[in-house]
Amino acid sequence: MSAIEPEDESGKDRSADPDALMRNFERLGYIADRSLATSIFLITKLRKPLLIEGHAGLGKTEVAKVLATMLGTELIRLQCYEGLDASSAVYEWNYQKQLLAIKIQEGAAQTVEEKERYIFSREFLLERPLLKSILAQEASPVLLIDEIDRADEAFEAFLLELLSDFQISIPEMGTIQATHIPYVILTSNRTRELSDALKRRCLYHWIDYPTFEKEMRIVRTRLPDIEEELSKQMVRYVQALRKLDMEKPPGVAETLDCVQAVALLGKHQLSADVIEETMGCVAKSMEDGARLRAAGIDQLLSQAT
Amino acid sequence: MRQEHAQQLAGSIVDFCRFLRTHGFSADMRQTMTALEAAKTIEVRNPQFFASALQTTLCSTMEEWEQFPPLFQTFWGESQPRPRSTSGEYKGPSRGESPEQKEGSSLFLDRPGKQTGAAEGNTKAVYGASTQQRLKKVDFSQLPCDDLALLEEISLRLLRRMSQRLSRRLAISERPTRIDLRRSIRRNITRGGEPLVLAYKGKKPRKNKLVILLDISGSMNFYSLFLVRFAYALQARFERVHTFLFSTNVVDISDLLRTRYLPEALRKLSQRAAGWSGGTRIGESLRQFNQVYGRKLLSRDSIFIILSDGWDTGEPELLASQLRKTKARVQKVLWLNPLLGLKDYQPLTRGMAAALPYVDVFAPAHNLESLLALERQL
Repeated sequence: MSAIEPEDESGKDRSADPDALMRNFERLGYIADRSLATSIFLITKLRKPLLIEGHAGLGKTEVAKVLATMLGTELIRLQCYEGLDASSAVYEWNYQKQLLAIKIQEGAAQTVEEKERYIFSREFLLERPLLKSILAQEASPVLLIDEIDRADEAFEAFLLELLSDFQISIPEMGTIQATHIPYVILTSNRTRELSDALKRRCLYHWIDYPTFEKEMRIVRTRLPDIEEELSKQMVRYVQALRKLDMEKPPGVAETLDCVQAVALLGKHQLSADVIEETMGCVAKSMEDGARLRAAGIDQLLSQAT
Repeated sequence: MRQEHAQQLAGSIVDFCRFLRTHGFSADMRQTMTALEAAKTIEVRNPQFFASALQTTLCSTMEEWEQFPPLFQTFWGESQPRPRSTSGEYKGPSRGESPEQKEGSSLFLDRPGKQTGAAEGNTKAVYGASTQQRLKKVDFSQLPCDDLALLEEISLRLLRRMSQRLSRRLAISERPTRIDLRRSIRRNITRGGEPLVLAYKGKKPRKNKLVILLDISGSMNFYSLFLVRFAYALQARFERVHTFLFSTNVVDISDLLRTRYLPEALRKLSQRAAGWSGGTRIGESLRQFNQVYGRKLLSRDSIFIILSDGWDTGEPELLASQLRKTKARVQKVLWLNPLLGLKDYQPLTRGMAAALPYVDVFAPAHNLESLLALERQL
């Protein structure tokens, strides 16, 4: 079955099918399963935004970074927060510079219209991430909109417009249409429900905690210098922790931190002491620490070794 | 030949979307189109690619994501990227299943898996409780409405109070808080750019949304009428108020309360049988509310008000877990309890005790003064 190829503007490392993409990701140090690979593959083919949801520390943001590296294109990141508005997400005029320019022009024999056109030219435009992604000249950039659930609903609505038309209008300059439509990845930690309209425009992927085998592969890929046996014990230990009813169960990022911590402490074996010493890597609140203790360190140890 | 095959596949995908919809997925036109496009770009004969592609295009929440694999399996059979029919006509398991799916008490209970058991249990329990429902038709219009003016006055005060919450987005304002350079330059451009007139921006006011759940069960008989009118007064003043009645289940009455003339509203209200003076199942009602309206109505700028005495015949655990869910979505949970006006009242009923940890403000609501005191809480 032949694929509908969007014009291949980058000419770079385009993967022919999800499996090839999976291998490319692995080469770059990211272990993706087939399902995630298919989702990412479809972004590159369908040019639809991908919404990735999942708990913290499971590599949501990393997907965008690796995708950008693989495509050999620029990564533009927009970190969302409450109160994020157009002037910090889209564009803003460089007012100070404009004021100076007005002063300098004072004596010049130009009409007001000419002066105005000069003041509102590209030179005075501060490009924020969203505008930058639209203006990209050489190739489609990867636009990462991180933690969209933290932004206000009003911003979400604005984003909706941008994601369907990929154009931004600046009253003083006119409408700017994207020459290269960016690959868009949105991430969310599900602190609130996103609007249905936004979700329906996106492809969706839910990243869950990895299986033992997958997590082992991640640890082996990321930290190849750690002994395999120790890695195995650590992964089993973290996997056991996730079954406790913790407020913030440890993600893969925590596993990696913890394995590294153990290695730095010069330990070759998981023990009760090691668990005690590295507790801060996996239990990130007092309550979670207490839960870990309540579950019994010896109990966890026996599950891991 | 190939063309024909592709068409057949497209037909099956559309059928599959329809099948998903009967299971509570949104799977709308846009998503269906995306799924069709996706099927064109990947190797559909690889069952894993095919399943993943449909999953990523047709799901939009974690819940849907997790329900997807078994549904996919049911529809497409043994990982075959086409249904088991050879003719164009589709005779999959979905047609067979859908009628019994629809038989359930509501479409929202149609979640397969672990929820089903609980849902069935609840449905039965609801029937059990509804024998107690007397479905009395009350004619409120006979009652005096002379304190309405006062109620309106209170709601007006509440409104002023609540409007003071400012959102963090910045908007143009005349008061000098922060200079809006953009506007300043625009205003002064005709003066050669000399900044003579400055424009300012401040916090943009944004009114909170009110969601009111009003208990109309038997134990609330004395108060429910009075409180309905309070809700009416609020509704007249706030732009965004949603009012619901509950006893054993939830009824939306926002549209009724939006009527101009109160006696008219009350007359219509009494026609909408909603289990007046029936039994109380707060937990179950709240579950229904969360499921049906929660996602649409609750957001971080909403204030959630429950007007109830906390006498609950249902499971306190259900109440607690549902209230926790609600609390996670809203800014504030208020529980107004008319009994709190009684001198020796202690919130010891099982339901009330279970709910208290998730309530931000627990206040009386038995007369006008108590409602007035609410002003300070908001």
